[in-house]
Parts: sequence; structure tokens; C-alpha cells
Amino acid sequence: MSNIRKLPQVLYIEDSDESRSLVRRLLAEKYIVLEASNPLDGLQLAEETQPNLILLDHNLPHMTGSEAATRLKQMLPNTPIVIVSADTSPGARERALAAGAVGFISKPIDDDFETLVTDYLNGKVEKLAHAEKYLQAYQQELVERLEGNIRQLTSALEKNKHLLSQNERMFSMLDRRHKLLQTAARVGQMVTSILDLNDLLKHTVNIICSEFNFYYSGIFLLSDDRQFAELRAGYALAGRKMLEAKYRLPVDEQSMIGKSILTQIPQIASDAEHEQSRFKNPFLPDTKSEMALPLIVDSVPLGALTVQSNQINAFSEDDITSLQAMSEQVAIAINNAQLMKKLESANSELLRTKTYEAIATATGEAIHWVGNKAAPIPGSINRVREDIKYLLALFASMDESGLENESLKEAVRNVREEAQNQGLDLKSILEEMSELKSNRLQALLSVESLMEDLTIAENSANTILEIKEGLIGPARQRSDASISLEMMITTTVENMGLPDGAVEMGWEKDLPLVHGDVRQLEQVFNNLIKNAWEALTNANVTNPKITIAGCRDNDPYYVLVIVKDNGPGIPKEIQEKIWVSFFTTKGGKGGTGLGLSAVMQIVNQHGGKIWLESENGNGATFYVRLPIER
Amino acid sequence: MITVLLVDDEKLIQRSLEKTLLRAGFDVFTASDCTTGKEVFSRNANSIDIAVLDLNMPGFDGNPKNDAGFDLLDELKKQKSNLPVIILTAYDEVSKAKDAVSKGANAFFVKGREQGLVELVQKILGK
Repeated sequence: MSNIRKLPQVLYIEDSDESRSLVRRLLAEKYIVLEASNPLDGLQLAEETQPNLILLDHNLPHMTGSEAATRLKQMLPNTPIVIVSADTSPGARERALAAGAVGFISKPIDDDFETLVTDYLNGKVEKLAHAEKYLQAYQQELVERLEGNIRQLTSALEKNKHLLSQNERMFSMLDRRHKLLQTAARVGQMVTSILDLNDLLKHTVNIICSEFNFYYSGIFLLSDDRQFAELRAGYALAGRKMLEAKYRLPVDEQSMIGKSILTQIPQIASDAEHEQSRFKNPFLPDTKSEMALPLIVDSVPLGALTVQSNQINAFSEDDITSLQAMSEQVAIAINNAQLMKKLESANSELLRTKTYEAIATATGEAIHWVGNKAAPIPGSINRVREDIKYLLALFASMDESGLENESLKEAVRNVREEAQNQGLDLKSILEEMSELKSNRLQALLSVESLMEDLTIAENSANTILEIKEGLIGPARQRSDASISLEMMITTTVENMGLPDGAVEMGWEKDLPLVHGDVRQLEQVFNNLIKNAWEALTNANVTNPKITIAGCRDNDPYYVLVIVKDNGPGIPKEIQEKIWVSFFTTKGGKGGTGLGLSAVMQIVNQHGGKIWLESENGNGATFYVRLPIER
Repeated sequence: MITVLLVDDEKLIQRSLEKTLLRAGFDVFTASDCTTGKEVFSRNANSIDIAVLDLNMPGFDGNPKNDAGFDLLDELKKQKSNLPVIILTAYDEVSKAKDAVSKGANAFFVKGREQGLVELVQKILGK
């Protein structure tokens, strides 16, 4: 085996795998064969390895063997280059030699190939007769090839330019599509969050015009009788003018809007001037293309969206697709807004009715209540006046001469005189009295009755005055503090003086403090407990019991106090009414009817909630939810 | 002697009216709700000449009830169909007055001027 390092290196540049493996086999004994399958790799390999000989195929990609030979000659002027070619045309050998090769071996190669290579390696140089002639021809060939290359390059360049512009167009299309989709998504997102119909419509036309670059957009909604499409929003000045003119179109085939609603199919006029179903609109004289998209929810048309451009063929397929997608979302949003509006109006009507009812009830109850409380006052006062008249008549008839004190005598005379001045005929009253039977007279002159009547008048007046507290209590200035409900309610219960064992309490450990006004909250629980106790006493419950429990609410920011009694419960039909001012179940036994209404007002003002659960026969349970201190 | 059954759940009203009627020379039986009203009447049906009934008061089930006076009126009329009845109310309601008359009441009286009730009783009883 010879020393590989010492073997001469032969570079073979050839694109045919078969040729390369053949040469490798033939030369492997005596040479290191370097291979390149194209001239560019070959040039690089030659520079790196500085081979002893270069074999070059003539018919190569990118450049001819001759061209490669010229380049190699420049690079490695001392390295012999041999062209190996199947080219049998006349002058092929000469052109190769002219290009700088030292020899030319014709393909197919024979057994003598190794010998030929060795000869060239050892310095054999084939001479070329009339070298100038071939050199010229070769240069001519080079120029032609160069020209060919330039032509190719130029055309490639143009092709590139075309591709570039095509790419740009693609990019801008993609960009627009992206933007349209984004806009559609944004509109969709936005419109579904706007529940005010007018806002929604205005926003939609504005966005369509600004984002899609159309000069006009408008939204029509069907009239109540569904005969007309009424413009509800329009872009810019034209839109404003049309809205002012109450612009509307009949739902028929005459207009694109009408037709789109009628057929539930989008109407597109790319060249509007020649479109038959386009209604010429004097407000929008510049319209060249126009689209009417029906707004449909659950196959029910709500109206239509018009989009107009001042250019012919303004709508790309992308525009149509995304506008259609958007119109679907807008339709849903409109539907939602309309439903919302209906719901709101139904709700507010209900609220109005409820409020009127509540006010009427409260007013009725108030009149009734005041009427009842005030009713005895004139009666008792009349009787007192009568009683005084009789007493005065008696008094005046007495003989004051028996009185020792002069001023007392004077006083009696004065009364007599004053009574006369007041128009009281005491003498005839006395005569009247003398005719009465004894027991009747005693009834009229009863001091007890006189005092009772004064008490009746006084109590009636006081009850009416007390109502002030019930009305004003909740409105009084609050002075808030941290309150332990357990301590507060325990004290309240103690102060109420209920029988031992009537109230049972259970408190969750470490119940958070609440924030509120002690006096008002005391009033709340005092009322609830008092009501419960009265219900129990009135119903003669055998083992009356009030249970009070305090615990954390499900909502961690609240505590819940439950006041439960084992009384007869509160009938379903009055459960709503108990919260109304002046409603009372206590009849003549006192109570202003303001207790629970004030209680509710106080609890509400504290940010809490109070409600009742009661089934007839199973007692009443009041729940009071109050916010904890934070 | 005229005997009046007075049924009203407002204690002060009841007492004041009672005194006014007594003073006018009438005999008075009182009650505070439908159930006792009916009992008192049953016991004294022969002597009672006229019933004065509040409209809103505890009904026969003991619970406060609007127009409970009409229920008692029906019950009393069952026992004594020609019993004159005056319905009392705290405020003037034309529709209630009509209701009262259609139910067989002789008059509808708005509480307040008690002497007016005395005159009304006398007028109804023709004395």
C-alpha cells in the first residue's frame, strides 16, 4: 500500500455520478481523487486543496468547462487543467486549449485514461496551431454566453420584480383581510356590549365607514307594522340629513334595502348606476357601488345595513365576507338591545305600578290610621266642655258669702261674670239640670268621666305625635361604631323585661363586628322581638319561645341574625304588607304600623337586607343580614 | 230606651263613642272584634235596637281584615234580619258607602263628629 500522503491529488469536476465513479476507480491506485459535482464547488475545492491536476467535464451546470478552465487558470496558473468531454464537434478540443487547458480527453474514456492523466501530470502540454483564431472564437463564445447570462439575469430580475409586487399585493390583501376581521371582531365585541340601541347603531355605522373606508353606511330597522325600513343611523352629514328627513323605504323590490329585507339575501350592486333594483338616493349622489345586508335573527328580519362606496367595484370578496359576518353580529346585538329595551320598559312599568300601589296603600293606611287615632279627640273634648258647663252652673249657683277669703269671693264673682261674657246662660243650664233624674245628673257630673275624657284626648294626641319617631327615626343622623351584635342584642333583650326563658340565644364563636348605629340597630331588634312576643301572647301560645341566632352569612362579608318565634306565623296574604308603613295587625292594642317599615328602612340604610319566612302555624322567622366591619 | 251594640277595635274610639252614646241616654254594649261582637249580640239580641260596626277590625279568625264589619253585619242580619246597622269607618269612601248600603246597612258614618252618630241613630230609629 503506497503512502497516501505522497500520492498526487487530482480534482475531478463532473456532474455525472457515473463518470465520477468510473474515474475514481481508474485513478484510485496512483492518485487521490477529489470530486466536485458542479463548477462552483470545484472552484472552491481547487482553491482549498491546490491539487496537482484538474480534470474538468465540459458540459457542466451554470458554466461550461471552458469557462471554468479560464477561471481555474487564473486561480492556479501552475496547475495543469485537462478537459474531459464527449463533445465531438469540430473545434471542441481547440476551444478547450484556447480556454487554458493543457489537454483534451474525449469521452468515453478508455483503459489508457490513467496513462493520459499521468502524462499531463508530468508536464505534457498539447500545442494549439493558430491559437489566436481559437482564442478569438473562444472569446466570442464567452461574450455570447455573457450576453445570454445578462439576458437571463434581466429576465430573472423582471420576474423577481413581478413576484415582489405580487407578494406586496398578497401582503396588503392579507393585511386588509386581517384588519377587516379585526374590525369585524371588534365591532362584534363592542356592539354586543352596547345595550342602548341608538348608541349601538351610531357606533356601528361609524366604525364601518372609518375602518373599511366606505363613504357612507346606514342602518334601517323595520317599522312596527313591518311595512317600512326606517333609517335609524346614518354616517356623517348625509346620514344626519336623512335622519332629519325621517328617511324610510317601503319593504318591496324597488330598493336594495327593501329587497334585502324581503328576500333575506344580501344585495350587491358593483356598478350602481346600472343596477335596476337600486333606488337612486338624492342624499347620496356619488354612490357607485352599494351593498344591502339584511339584519336577521332566527330567520326574522329586523332591518338592513347599507354600505356605499363612491367607487365602482368597491367590494372585494373579503369585504363582503367580513361585512356579512359583522352584520350577523350587529343583528344579534340589535335584537339584544331591543329585548333589553322591552324588558326595561316592562320592568319600569311594573315598578311604577308597584310604586303607585305601595303609595296608594301607604296613603290609604295613613289616612285610616290618623283618622282612627284622631277620631275620639273631638268627642272627648265636647264632653269635657259640656262637663265644665254643668260644673260652672253648679259653681256659680253657690253662695260665696260663706267664704272668708276676700280674693276667693272675688274669684267666684269673676267666674260668674266671665261665663256670662262667654255667652253661657248658667241659670238656665242649672234649671235644665234640676229637671234631670238623679242618676242621669250624676253621670253628667262625674269627675271620673271628666278625667277619662281628658285622658282619651291626651292619649290620642300622643299616639299621633309618637308616629313622628317612627317616621323620622330611620332618617336621623347616624353615628356609626363597631358593634358586637351579641352584646347589643343581649342588652336589648334584658331591657325588654320579657319572662325568664322566653328568649333563647345562640351565637357563633368569634362572630365579626358589624358597623352601624347602635340606637337604630337596637330599634331593629327591639321591634322584631317585641312583635314576636306580641304575636305569641295574642295567640296564647302554650310554651312561647323566641330563638335568636347569630352566625356568619354565606357571603363572608355579612353576618346573619335570625329571630324566630313559635307563634301562629304570618299569613301569606299579608306577608308583603307588613313592610308597608301604617299597616298594623295590632288593631286597638297600640302600634303605629311603622315598626317593620322603619326596621326595613334602617337595615337597608346599613347596607343589609331583611326578609321573612313564615308558614301558617309554624311561627315566623325574620332574617337580618348586616355587613361586617371592614 | 235605645240600646246600641258598638263594635270597634280601637279602644279609645270605642270608649269615646260609648260615652257619647251613654250621654245621649242610650244603653250601650261594646265589643272589639267580630267574634265577641257576634257573642254579645246573641246574648242580648232582644234588647239591642241598632248595631254600630267598625269596618276594618279583626275578623272571625282573629286576624285584622279589611271590611270585617261587613262579615259581622251578615252574621247579625242572619239572627235578626230587620236589625238597623250603621257602618263606621275612619275615612270617607264613596264606594264603601255604596257597598255598605247594598249589604243591608242603613247608614255609613265617618268617625269624628260623635254627636252626628247620636243624631243618625235617632233618625234611623225614628225617635
